[in-house]
Amino acid sequence: MSAVSTGLPPATATALETLLRAMADDEFVIGFSDSEWTGIAPQLEEDVAMSSLAQDELGHAAALYGLLGGLTGSDPDELAYDREPADYRHCRLLDHGRGDWAMTIARRYLYDTADAIRLEALAGGSWAPLAELVGKLVREERYHVMHASTWFDRLARGGREPRARLLSALDELGPDAATVFTPLDGEELLLYAGAIAQPMAAIDARWRAHITPTFVAHGLPMPPPAELGEGRTRHGGPFRWLWNEFTAVRREDPVATW
Amino acid sequence: MSDGGARTDPTAEPDATRETGDTPPAAEAWEVFRREKDGDPMRHGGSVLAPDAELATHYARELYGRRQESVRLWIVRRADIVDLDDPDLLQPPLDRSFKKPGGYVMRDKLAAAREAAGQPKPKARSS
Repeated sequence: MSAVSTGLPPATATALETLLRAMADDEFVIGFSDSEWTGIAPQLEEDVAMSSLAQDELGHAAALYGLLGGLTGSDPDELAYDREPADYRHCRLLDHGRGDWAMTIARRYLYDTADAIRLEALAGGSWAPLAELVGKLVREERYHVMHASTWFDRLARGGREPRARLLSALDELGPDAATVFTPLDGEELLLYAGAIAQPMAAIDARWRAHITPTFVAHGLPMPPPAELGEGRTRHGGPFRWLWNEFTAVRREDPVATW
Repeated sequence: MSDGGARTDPTAEPDATRETGDTPPAAEAWEVFRREKDGDPMRHGGSVLAPDAELATHYARELYGRRQESVRLWIVRRADIVDLDDPDLLQPPLDRSFKKPGGYVMRDKLAAAREAAGQPKPKARSS
């Protein structure tokens, strides 16, 4: 596979790769994390729903790895499976273990709302292949936010135990929530080229404004500002475990065809 | 952005029935009808268990629409369906064959009527 030209200056093209890798890894990692519920979700219907959402995210990751592979001349499967854990660039919000249902819902809610605002900032961008893909992703992510919001509201209002579990999940995840908006190397070049509409810091602020009414209505603590240093580069034990899981079959026989 | 009405209205009063206690609401059955493509009738697809219309909608969407196999779903609480299975009304014991069209040979008359009206024979229905 050979790299295609973006018509962009090399430094801008590199920044575009950084953006695509961050987004693709986010979708890939949350997709695999959610697939851990397959077979053990709280009820059969929810099992199908969560598994279907997980598949959606892996589909989005595949599309984004496809764009990235087109730029770098690498195979999307290699991008997804053949890197060492330290080379993944998903945000730290997605680096916590599966935990209970409340952890999964809190993570989904924080990530899906953040992703939706991030996609808004990318819609209509100047690099047509990404703008086109974002137009499709937005339509599918709309359902993801609906599903996460439904459960988030239920846990917040569902009585003592669900609320206590949600609070404990927010306690663990909240400080990492805004790592979705970790500034990217070369971000200013993407802004200059019109590939993204706003810097990550501004998208973070828009996301906070968007979720504040929900947190206020439920009397929940807003996620604090994230410590953004290494927001996409420091991956701990839970991710190592997940990486072992999702690369296991591939490592068994890297050249197998399916 | 739109997230489809699943948001909480911050001005709304808390729903007292969901505010108290730790007992989860019991799931009930919802029947799902689906339209496969525009112009098709709604056909029964199956059912889902859910505690309320909101989750029933999510589950119907995932079980009967996630593969783009539906363009519309109707999600109906099973308890709201008027159920009629009274054999006295539906399968009465006396001979009712005189209410069936058997015995009337319509084919030739229909063909003649169609010819007079200049209409072609309609295609067989697929279902």
